[in-house]
Amino acid sequence: MASQGTEKALALLRRLPRVSLGNLKPNPGAVKSARRGRGIYGGKTHGAGSKGSGQRQNFMRLGFETGNTPFYLRFPYQNYYKGHHMRLSYAPLCMGKLQRMIDTSRLRTDVPVDITQLSATQLFSINPMEKMGGIMLKDEGIDHFQATLNLEVQWATEAVITSVERNGGTITVAYYDPISLQAALNPMAFFKRGVAIPRRMLPPQNLIDYYSDPKNRGYLADPTEVARERFVLAQKYGYELPDIRSSPNQEMLLERKDPRQIFYGLQPGWVVNLEDKVILKPTDPELLEHYAS
Amino acid sequence: MAGALSLAWGVTAHRPALLRQVLRSFSVTAVRNQETGAAVAAASIDSRKSPLILDEKFPDSNSIVVPREAWIETLDTSAASTQVGLIHLHPQVFGANPRLDLIHENVTWQKKFRMVNYAHTKVRSEVRGGGKKPWPQKGLGRARHGSIRSPLWRGGGVTHGPRAYTTHFYMLPFSKRLQGLTATLSAKFAQDDLKIVESLDMPSDEAGYLEQLCENRRWGISVLFVDDSDIMPRNITLASDTLRHMNLMPVYGLNVHSMLKHETLVLTVAAVRRIEERILYHFRRPDLPKENMKRFRM
Repeated sequence: MASQGTEKALALLRRLPRVSLGNLKPNPGAVKSARRGRGIYGGKTHGAGSKGSGQRQNFMRLGFETGNTPFYLRFPYQNYYKGHHMRLSYAPLCMGKLQRMIDTSRLRTDVPVDITQLSATQLFSINPMEKMGGIMLKDEGIDHFQATLNLEVQWATEAVITSVERNGGTITVAYYDPISLQAALNPMAFFKRGVAIPRRMLPPQNLIDYYSDPKNRGYLADPTEVARERFVLAQKYGYELPDIRSSPNQEMLLERKDPRQIFYGLQPGWVVNLEDKVILKPTDPELLEHYAS
Repeated sequence: MAGALSLAWGVTAHRPALLRQVLRSFSVTAVRNQETGAAVAAASIDSRKSPLILDEKFPDSNSIVVPREAWIETLDTSAASTQVGLIHLHPQVFGANPRLDLIHENVTWQKKFRMVNYAHTKVRSEVRGGGKKPWPQKGLGRARHGSIRSPLWRGGGVTHGPRAYTTHFYMLPFSKRLQGLTATLSAKFAQDDLKIVESLDMPSDEAGYLEQLCENRRWGISVLFVDDSDIMPRNITLASDTLRHMNLMPVYGLNVHSMLKHETLVLTVAAVRRIEERILYHFRRPDLPKENMKRFRM
């Protein structure tokens, strides 16, 4: 604020007549009249030419080369695109930036950090409809990471897991299907819809191995296996694993969601009524069975 | 008066000590005045031991920019001095870029969003009559016509005429409304048209008292008094009741049009702090003005 320009403008204003309703006007050129140009300023066609796609705006389809074999058909099939319509992309979050978010009080460390917490910072644009799967932790700035967190992200590498666990934190990678992800990204918008919290779907076929692997700290892995892998990783990188059980934040650090659960503290099937500030829970045995984990 | 304020304007961070000294001397005269037996109301105001110095540091604002300084005045003319203290104003609110184009946009918006145009004309089908073809198409040597209510005819319909009710409602983007407020407050402050008083308490409820006060202080004809609360003190309410060019307004009603409509804007200290709090809250909130967040996005 208050750059040199601002100071100059304020100093200038001091010697000018009083700013009032009578002497205001828009910036030159800011107001455009909506008139249609005549003669040389527009003429008959207004630059759209006569006849054909130029005039009618029905342009050729993308990649069409009017008779030639199109470029995208001219060369053999690219194998690395196999199944691209099934794959998910993830919003990257560097470890250095995560630390900075904590330093600048954008992120709380006394509660488990999940996709909802991260999205509440308003720093990510994640659209599940564009096949985005959530947030992926990148190892950039990993040397600066010092926080003790209970993290839940959608993708993490071994280096990232190491740095989180070395600081006494815990990390889980968890899958969110598009509908659950949309709810988790903006809970208030979801609650306003007045529908029951859905069950989180299990990962698709190609991701089930990743999320069941204790090495990745997958949310479907056996907790005892995960505990063992934590120790193995500490041995591999030669650091002493801080004891979570003696930590004052033990309860927070060990809090986990059910694989079917989207929000901490809320079970699938519940309806959050923001108007009356009540939570409605299903009682019908069939519903209970449907939403049971 | 104007000289004193220009002193306040010119003072920068490295000279607050000098100002304090000046103000201390004020306080001495104030006490003396009380000893000589001034009005009771004046005594209540002057009874404080030292001048009111609200030198907040605003640690959250940019450290390079010093807070703006302004005198705190009193509406009590029997007080020993017009100025009773000094206040620091947040530079983001009272020293913002005076964007005249944004001020204009705000004023235009305030005029237009509630405007409904009732002008109405009839098209050819709505004008009475004109169903029959006036004369045959061919054989008469006359121009071809199908209706006597065609727009070409006298008494015919109107093409592209105004149609009631045309609303001109639109919303100015939130950030522009916010910046309009800071730009107007800053422009008013830069032009010495923004005065700060400790409260709207006055010893008299006469309209003449208020008029005389504004004239003596060169506040101009029209003055807008803004307080934190919407329940105003009795005396100023009665005094300004018959003066249509002196108006009272609570902080929640503060707007660009009204600030510019009046020559001088008078804020109470409580109003200043409330305005700062509300505007800074909106400047910093991460959710609403998306433009503010753009540079932080990952």
